Amino acid sequence: MHVDYWAHLKQSNAGRAGLILVCLLVGVAVLAPVLSPWNPGAYTGAIFSPPGREHWLGTNDVGQDVWAQLLFGARTSLAVGCGAALLATLLSALIGGTAGLLGGLYDRFWMRAVDALLVIPPVIPAILVGAYLRPSLAVTVALLAAILWPGEARVVRAQILSLKERAPVAAARTFGAGWGHILVRHLIPELGPVLVAVFVQGVRRAVFLEAGLSFLGIGDPAVVSWGRMMQHALRFTYLDVWKWWLLPPGLALSLTLGAFALLGFALETVFHPRLRR
Amino acid sequence: MLRDRPFATYVLAVFVILSLNFILPRLMPGDPLLAIYGEEALLAMSPELKEELVRRFSLDRPLSAQFLAYLAALFRGDLGHSYYFNAPVSRVLLGFLPWTLLLTGLALCLCAALGVVLGIESGARRGRPQDAVLLSAALFLGGFPDFFAGTLLLLFFGVTLGVAPLAGALTPYAGKAGLSLVLDVLHHLTLPLLTLVVVRVGPFYLLTRNTMVTTLGEAFILTARAKGCPDRTVRYRHAGRHSLLPVVTAAGLQYAHLITGALFVEMVFSYPGMGTLLYRALLTRDYPLIQGILLTAALAVLTVNFLLELVYVKVDPRVVRAR
Repeated sequence: MHVDYWAHLKQSNAGRAGLILVCLLVGVAVLAPVLSPWNPGAYTGAIFSPPGREHWLGTNDVGQDVWAQLLFGARTSLAVGCGAALLATLLSALIGGTAGLLGGLYDRFWMRAVDALLVIPPVIPAILVGAYLRPSLAVTVALLAAILWPGEARVVRAQILSLKERAPVAAARTFGAGWGHILVRHLIPELGPVLVAVFVQGVRRAVFLEAGLSFLGIGDPAVVSWGRMMQHALRFTYLDVWKWWLLPPGLALSLTLGAFALLGFALETVFHPRLRR
Repeated sequence: MLRDRPFATYVLAVFVILSLNFILPRLMPGDPLLAIYGEEALLAMSPELKEELVRRFSLDRPLSAQFLAYLAALFRGDLGHSYYFNAPVSRVLLGFLPWTLLLTGLALCLCAALGVVLGIESGARRGRPQDAVLLSAALFLGGFPDFFAGTLLLLFFGVTLGVAPLAGALTPYAGKAGLSLVLDVLHHLTLPLLTLVVVRVGPFYLLTRNTMVTTLGEAFILTARAKGCPDRTVRYRHAGRHSLLPVVTAAGLQYAHLITGALFVEMVFSYPGMGTLLYRALLTRDYPLIQGILLTAALAVLTVNFLLELVYVKVDPRVVRAR
């Protein structure tokens, strides 16, 4: 099954839209200092100033430029999202992969653990640990990865189990190939695309959880993030400021989640041919 | 899907949460009492009270004894003392829990009912414009973070139009009773409920629709049509009923999302449930209260999941026979 996934991804509308949006977001995050003259944490001299030429999206209650905060918030979201998803994908590949390969008691131990972790809603341990640790960005990444891996490990394990039984592997085995050869030449290359899909889904969930945590005020107060912007702005709904302070971070967050959802959806259809119509 | 989880899984999950609750304050650097109660509470504490608390948590004994003491306290319903409310955590929780249960319970019922009906109608019209519109709407709304959806509704209906209350679950000191009280509660409930339903109806709908699509291709549908059953009957009695099964399984998972979603949505609407309480506890760093809220939420989710699994066995006899 040597399919050109990239070509399939580009053919689907959802895939194209998702890719363009994600590229756009990454570009904005990388170029944040260029796109805004202001520093997101700096006092600019005007409080609650409405959008204008000086401040494209106005300023907030302590005189910070909202546009700059929005741009730098993209950095936080993407950094935490990608970092946590990467870590979780590695963990799940390690645990899910070995569980699928080795089987037996080891497999049963991990799958029982994964089952138990999966019935706990992820937000609950996130808030609990976050409340105690008052996490920095690095700790948030580790925390989210610790929450994301069980679901992903299950997907990786299922994939390994199915790959193990496929014809090329059986053929290689009849030719006398050792486990190392099968692993390197057959299983790992075939697992790659699945890990990409798992990673993209992980980014979406991590971005969502990060925004939720910072919306509750958990996390490093010095880090600009969309969730924290919304938490602050929500206190001032009696003023008109929500139009340029509360809506943009919410829309940016929804756009980011949507972009990764589209990409994930497209990848899923690419990898499961039966869903293709 | 996740239908034949053994009871042990739930026991293990409860154990994981309890150990997390137990170990976190004790892992923190410094005095565990400080981590259990927070700095602010400890400043106001007299040495006698401190000593009493050390004894109560068995902090002068090994970790295993501390864990047993913690479990024993939980079984007595003792979740600790809320510093901010100056009352037992369990009593504080009982004041806030009913509102959350009302909100999430109604949301679950509405989501399931609406999702199933929309899913059946949409699945029966697969490929036609109505189906396409519903499908894209569900995909679009499903990606919205619940607190932002709530914020939008609050800004539109509450702030701009002014037709919905901005906070609370009741009009304070209005002295309402009977029907007007019920209407008042519903008036305050509408927006948070709408938020949860709008964001969470998608999975129910998608699941029902997908099952409908496969079910409609099965032989017994052809039989039903051949014997002249009207379209409505085929749709609801035959195919719809058959598509209900996965919804029961999904309901448990969705309740988890609803409870955690409610934590955020309540905060947006200042609805006096567990979410608002959690936010206040986080702001005041009232750790026993934070632990109590999250433990209760987790237990609620686990209980609903477990009960639904029992229901599933009743609804689908194949599960029992398969064992």
